[in-house]
Amino acid sequence: MMYLWFILMLVISALWLSWFLYRPLKTSAFNLEKSNIALGRQKQTELEQDLQNNLIDEQVFEQAKDEIVQTLSVEIEQTHGTTATDDTQQSVSIGLIMLIVAFLFGASLLVYQSLTSYTTVTEVRVQSEKVPTLAQSIARIKQRVEEKPDDVKAWRMLGLALFESGEVKPSLKAYERAYQLDPKNVGMLVEYASTLAVSQNNQFTGRVSSLVREALEINANSSDALYLAGWVALNAQQLDLAQKLWQKALSLLAENQPERGTLQRMLNELAQIQNKDAQPAQQHQVTLNITLSERLHQAEFQNHYLMIYVKAARGRPMPIAIQKIQLKDFTGVVTLTDENSVMPTKKLSQSSKVLAVVRLSKSGSAMRQASDIEAVSQIIDVRDNPTVELKL
Amino acid sequence: MLPEIGHFALILALIAAVLQVALPSMGLWRGNVALTQLSKPLLWMQFFWILVSFALLMNAFLVDDFSVKYVASNSNTQLPDIFKISAVWGAHEGSLLLWALVLSVWSVAVSIFSKRLPSEVLNHILIILGLISIGFLLFLLLTSNPFERLDIVPIQGRELNPLLQDFGLIIHPPMLYMGYVGMSIPFAFVLSSLIRGQLDSTWLRWSRPWTLVAWAFLTFGIVLGSWWAYYELGWGGWWFWDPVENASFMPWLVATALVHSLSVSEKRSAFKHWTVLLAISGFSLSLLGTFLVRSGILTSVHSFASDPARGFFILVFLMLVVGGSLSLYAWRANLMCSNNSFEPLSRESGLLTNNILLVAATLVVFSGTLYPLLLDSLGWGKISVGAPYFDVMFTAVMIPAVLVMALAGFLRWKKDKLDRVVDITIHTAFVASTITLITYFAIDNIYVVLATFLSSWVILHSLLLLAQRLRQRGNPGTAFLGMVVAHIGIAVFLFGATVTTQYGVEKDIKMSLNETVEIKGYAFTFKGVSALQGANYTGNKGVIDVAYQGAKIATLKPEKRQYVTGMPMTEAAIDPSLFRDLYIALGESLGEGAWSLRLYYKPLIRWIWLGGLLIMLGALLAAFDRRYRLKYKVKS
Repeated sequence: MMYLWFILMLVISALWLSWFLYRPLKTSAFNLEKSNIALGRQKQTELEQDLQNNLIDEQVFEQAKDEIVQTLSVEIEQTHGTTATDDTQQSVSIGLIMLIVAFLFGASLLVYQSLTSYTTVTEVRVQSEKVPTLAQSIARIKQRVEEKPDDVKAWRMLGLALFESGEVKPSLKAYERAYQLDPKNVGMLVEYASTLAVSQNNQFTGRVSSLVREALEINANSSDALYLAGWVALNAQQLDLAQKLWQKALSLLAENQPERGTLQRMLNELAQIQNKDAQPAQQHQVTLNITLSERLHQAEFQNHYLMIYVKAARGRPMPIAIQKIQLKDFTGVVTLTDENSVMPTKKLSQSSKVLAVVRLSKSGSAMRQASDIEAVSQIIDVRDNPTVELKL
Repeated sequence: MLPEIGHFALILALIAAVLQVALPSMGLWRGNVALTQLSKPLLWMQFFWILVSFALLMNAFLVDDFSVKYVASNSNTQLPDIFKISAVWGAHEGSLLLWALVLSVWSVAVSIFSKRLPSEVLNHILIILGLISIGFLLFLLLTSNPFERLDIVPIQGRELNPLLQDFGLIIHPPMLYMGYVGMSIPFAFVLSSLIRGQLDSTWLRWSRPWTLVAWAFLTFGIVLGSWWAYYELGWGGWWFWDPVENASFMPWLVATALVHSLSVSEKRSAFKHWTVLLAISGFSLSLLGTFLVRSGILTSVHSFASDPARGFFILVFLMLVVGGSLSLYAWRANLMCSNNSFEPLSRESGLLTNNILLVAATLVVFSGTLYPLLLDSLGWGKISVGAPYFDVMFTAVMIPAVLVMALAGFLRWKKDKLDRVVDITIHTAFVASTITLITYFAIDNIYVVLATFLSSWVILHSLLLLAQRLRQRGNPGTAFLGMVVAHIGIAVFLFGATVTTQYGVEKDIKMSLNETVEIKGYAFTFKGVSALQGANYTGNKGVIDVAYQGAKIATLKPEKRQYVTGMPMTEAAIDPSLFRDLYIALGESLGEGAWSLRLYYKPLIRWIWLGGLLIMLGALLAAFDRRYRLKYKVKS
């Protein structure tokens, strides 16, 4: 179908071109000599006006007039020196027209072929004529890695796609394969480390730390790797190091990159933590009153999990404090305190603007699944010890 | 499938451009008129396919086709439709496509509105324009394909840079590109003349109106950019000597010199060397601007695309254009000699002085922009050249330029008499000095006093010149009127820029609820902040009542937005007027209902853009002068 369109476009172009080859446009009625003479005359008229208006005296007028004539004679001489084309309309032979049309068809299609890597994946996409879903994309990439098991790019894409769909463990396997094939790819190392950290409940330790180190050894100025290195340092309670790493990452980002906002907030929060370390911290809490719909009281949901957490209103959506409760044990009210904080260095009380979230999950997975039900609050301030009403 | 058609349309445009160069060249070589006359139809074909390609990319944005990488990277479903349209040129690939489209629009305009140009000249010009098109279309197809597909289609796209989600972006880039790309027209005229070996009156006459129109667009684009930076960036500034601003300013300075040089060359057949070099430099600086922005060697609000491969391509293209055209210039240098003499005191000398000063100003900006990059690339350390350097150096060059600018119009062609010039100057100098003296007693700022003298000097000379012309001829002609309007525009800009810089007031303060702060007699009362929900952002909106002499004159509502990507944005609130702007930017919450705010009082800031608009109007008036509608007497 697509090639039919291409052929149509080529036919339109060929017809257009052939018409003007068959019936060439008429040349302009003026040649260069006539044009220069007319302009010389105009200059002379303007010069006479200047004389009449007393803008120049007689002597200057005569000089300027001579100069106009001299200039014109030089221009006419130059014009005569060039090869003049035959003014009579000439047509082009059928053979040449065919040759030009053939070039048009051949060159266009050849350039298109050489510019597009026309793989099976793209053919399927074009034929379906609609945007595929994430699941369809994953299926196609899986097909691709089966056909070409050494395609690093495909393995990395598979890792990313699986992560996006909440399949963290298969995602890690795909990244591991990509890592084996190309351990020097900084972007892949950063993605791999991030995914691994998520699978470890956001702990930037062990393998995560070594992957980040490898990425920085390859490119010490990778802002993404520096960002993760900051988290590794934070995990290890090295607040000053984390601050230095994030500041460096910030300096490497262009003014207009949205990631700057996230980094700036992280640095602000880090500064608050460092300030608060010197003072006895005030404890804050968030209370959630959660109302369940009639349907969720049915027996089939009783073994489902409620993931109740708060996350930063802006920036990375990692939970700050979380409780995981089976529905059968749920009483209706949950209070999140510093004891529920995910990171020891980032207590709930150290946060300000957050969103409270309740999610019902069959598996209890940290990543949101397609079948999960979720309710999110308005932005609240932890410092107010707020109570939030949520309906599920 | 539509993106693939868009991609193929671009390829067809490239093939059309190749044929636009090859077939007419063959026709000129073989003396075959039918092949030579193909330049126009092939150009129109090229334009049509670029237009199709552009329309299909716009369609991809409007239907949220995130399978196209460029769309997924710069748009999302929540983005309002108007910004989906402007997002087409909001990043690298689309803005390059816009560049190619604008180039084809200019070329089509030349092919349609050059009826008085002999076919042999026009065909040469279209061949040169075709060559430039090939360069840009190859650049698009090889390094910046806007129709590249994603194998994994995201459910939601990313975000158009919030800085660019603004009305200013809808018109600023197209206008600036019209100016940038417009500089390719005088370049093509010059190159075609050099190739033909005929640097004659025809070339000079018909390239001037095109140069004037390109210069008008460049002026308008820069004015729009300055206005956008003022209200969108939240700093209250109108010019930052940002490297990318400089990249557009350099071609403007050269184009200003070129329009003046062309007027001498056209009228007196002198300065041909200048004119040729300025035309080559103008377009080369436009390409350099593109190189600076697209290569990623600069970091500024404009460098939204950075890719060394792209930078390398443009650098090679730039070297070919500059190297090729300068080689042609060297080859044909003997054709530019003129025996037309002029005295040191003449209009030719005045315009030559001004041209030298404008080129010097360009070199000041050029060195300040590129010197840090050169040092860095040679590993000799990092330095930063900021506003203090540009302010001092540029002003030092431009003060004599403004003084001469006012006088040059009074000088006579070829030679003038000193006593006649002194006779005119002494009167205007007396009036300008009186105005300046009054200003000096009223205020104590040396910069404003100097600006008052220069502005009144220019305006008085311009009005006197107009009165003189009206007395002599009755109808001054639109070209002459254009010159007067543009020069007055310079004076208005100069005065506005100096006053706003010297007398602007800026206050960074904390304001509690119902607290009042007074600046220059204006009382700003903070009435609190409310939550804000936009199509693709949330945020806060402040309310500030402004009163003057006890009477409320405005309620300003500055915003602080948080876009989907998390990027914060400040939307300043402005109460504009011809004589002052009141400008407020909302900062951060400081707790207990208090907020940090930036309040500005900006006197005469609108004069800066008013001046720019007058310059643009002047250029357009000059471009549409009756002289350019010359009728030839053609005998059948």
